[in-house]
Amino acid sequence: MITRELELYYGPQHLGMVGNFSITLSVEGDTIVEAKANPGYLHRGFEKLMEYRSWTQNLTLPCRINVVEPDSMEMIYMMGVESLARIEVPERAQYIRTIVLELSRLASHLFGAWAYANMLGFDTVAQWAMAYRDFVLDLFEELTGGRVYHIYMCPGGVRRDLPDGFEEKVMNFIKTLAGHVPDFDAALFENKLFYKRAKGIGQISRQEAIELGATGQVLRATGMAYDIRKVEPYAAYDKVKFEVPTREDGDAYSRLWVIHDEMIQSAHIIMQCIENLPKGKVYERTPNPFKWKIPKGETYVRIESSRGELGAYVVSNGGKNPYRIFFRTPSFTHGIPILEKLLKGANIADVGNIMISLYVVPPEIDR
Amino acid sequence: MDRGQLSKWFKHPGIMAQKYSLWAVYFCTGCGIIEVPPSITSRWDAERFGVMPAPSPRHANLFMITGYVATKTLKAIIRTYELMPEPKYTVAFGSCPINGGMYWDSYNTIKHIDKYIPIDGWIAGCMPRPEAIFIGVTKLWMMIDKGAATGYKRYRENYEYYRKNQEKLFGKLPWPPLFPIEDKNEKLTV
Amino acid sequence: MSEELAKEIIDNFSNTGVSYTSKYRMYIQTPKEELFRLLEYLKDNGFKYLVMITCVDWINENEFELVYQVGNFNTPLRIIIQVRIPRNNPTYESIIPIFKNATDYEREIHELFGIVFDGNPKLTPLFLEDWQKFHPFKKDFDSREYVKVTFDSIPTLEEYK
Repeated sequence: MITRELELYYGPQHLGMVGNFSITLSVEGDTIVEAKANPGYLHRGFEKLMEYRSWTQNLTLPCRINVVEPDSMEMIYMMGVESLARIEVPERAQYIRTIVLELSRLASHLFGAWAYANMLGFDTVAQWAMAYRDFVLDLFEELTGGRVYHIYMCPGGVRRDLPDGFEEKVMNFIKTLAGHVPDFDAALFENKLFYKRAKGIGQISRQEAIELGATGQVLRATGMAYDIRKVEPYAAYDKVKFEVPTREDGDAYSRLWVIHDEMIQSAHIIMQCIENLPKGKVYERTPNPFKWKIPKGETYVRIESSRGELGAYVVSNGGKNPYRIFFRTPSFTHGIPILEKLLKGANIADVGNIMISLYVVPPEIDR
Repeated sequence: MDRGQLSKWFKHPGIMAQKYSLWAVYFCTGCGIIEVPPSITSRWDAERFGVMPAPSPRHANLFMITGYVATKTLKAIIRTYELMPEPKYTVAFGSCPINGGMYWDSYNTIKHIDKYIPIDGWIAGCMPRPEAIFIGVTKLWMMIDKGAATGYKRYRENYEYYRKNQEKLFGKLPWPPLFPIEDKNEKLTV
Repeated sequence: MSEELAKEIIDNFSNTGVSYTSKYRMYIQTPKEELFRLLEYLKDNGFKYLVMITCVDWINENEFELVYQVGNFNTPLRIIIQVRIPRNNPTYESIIPIFKNATDYEREIHELFGIVFDGNPKLTPLFLEDWQKFHPFKKDFDSREYVKVTFDSIPTLEEYK
């Protein structure tokens, strides 16, 4: 039998691609021999742009790096600036930041559920997930004024206090979503077809995951309970009780189940924060934004975004603009080395399955 | 049903059928793609306007440029645009395709996309809401009725200008020109 | 635990300084010949996870500063190692034999700053395609000048006619 190797472009304009990313595959029959990830379709040079603008003018830029979950990028920039300038955030602002981060995590997981269910063919569950995400965006619109890009956090706290009646609306939304979890389970997560399509696909062992730099769900699905919210707590996470879900196998089935359990834990965290919300001010005044200079130094801050460890390395040389900022994004290691390793030996039909279960967002790779 | 439309269906059936079924190419070019999945799912249903994502550019007649364009994406956009059959319409989202937007000093983004492919309409917002996208689609219908959505005719008539701009940016392009460019230096000798 | 580690590092490696900015962040400044041995020593002591590699351009001192970070899953401590290399014709050795996921970080630094890593098999373009100009993240590349020269010089349709 004579076979021949062909080069196949799983390119940017493709029905199975979510986001602007391309993979070059070398195929022999139906099995993939080698895969090369090809990022760069969304590169804007953020880190160079931020060196031209002052510390306060930069507030609008970081949230556009991750379009699916912009609040985590805002939070990491604020934490970097507050750590260098030694600003203390008041307690009520910490609780409000936790609520905003957890709502954003819910929206991001529902977007991931839409992408995965749509790719597998479970269209009903995809429409439900997208509709619930829209209710979260309605809550954000009432709080901040914008559906997708909020610019709600600023160095020293949050921009304004919660409007009247906001807490009841959030509790109503969570109770409605919790009432529909059995429907989601029956339609997608406990479905026999999902088990057959996802079990054993894209399997990675714990040793390989640590060597190739995995964090987040990819690591927790191999059995390691590592969550930055427990290890090095930030915002109000040391005052709420929650668990870190893990699974054992490390394949696409386990990763989706970890996402399902994390959504339930997010709902618990939001309810506890709303019940224990303290009173006080929400904003600590910063100096004149036109003349604000941050003392010389460097720092590294990290949070647990919905995809893994998100960090920022900020260097200041005492001026009005940042000297160098580097964002350590989780999609960089999930999207290039781990994807290329997992695609070797897989079928062409499973490329979308593996890519979306690894939870890669292309703008985070390119920045 | 609007009885004033019945006569239009008899006089120009082609235009009416075309504008009420605009199929959009499924290409996520930039930031603005985050508001397109809400538009095509059940809450803001785009299919009641006739807009649905088409699997291949050969089946599509609407191209949505959602947000900023990086230079590497522009090559893919030009190839996809030239693959679409005529008549075709392009719509640009946000302020980044108009004049660069907030990335005006970036070395890798395109500042005026109208210099490389023709655009029929722009929608404001960062990102435009699903309601803004639908208002843009209805304005495109009115333009098609009047015959003012002529981006593809502009591309055909001024192809030499567009191709020269694309070559100034990228160097020699690896695909041949879509329409034949006449060489003005050639003299016909009899 | 981190005080003993700091003492051992200062004893065993020459010209090396250790400092803390907060409880869980240790900074080590080391000369460029000692980095390989230092990373192997840290990996043997439980810091098996490479978090990031990046580069800072100190143009006034005529040096590039490479920043490495390693982590440990048993403690929240993070160790950040800073190495300085000269700015003219910069080359350095690759740390792929110790940490496998360093390949793509070094590829990105090569494309954006121009540092050549010996021993890296994959130094191909990552984000910028067909880019024959100079490396964009260096401090002497002015992005606004480049935009004026490249993009604003292309005419619009009215100017062409």
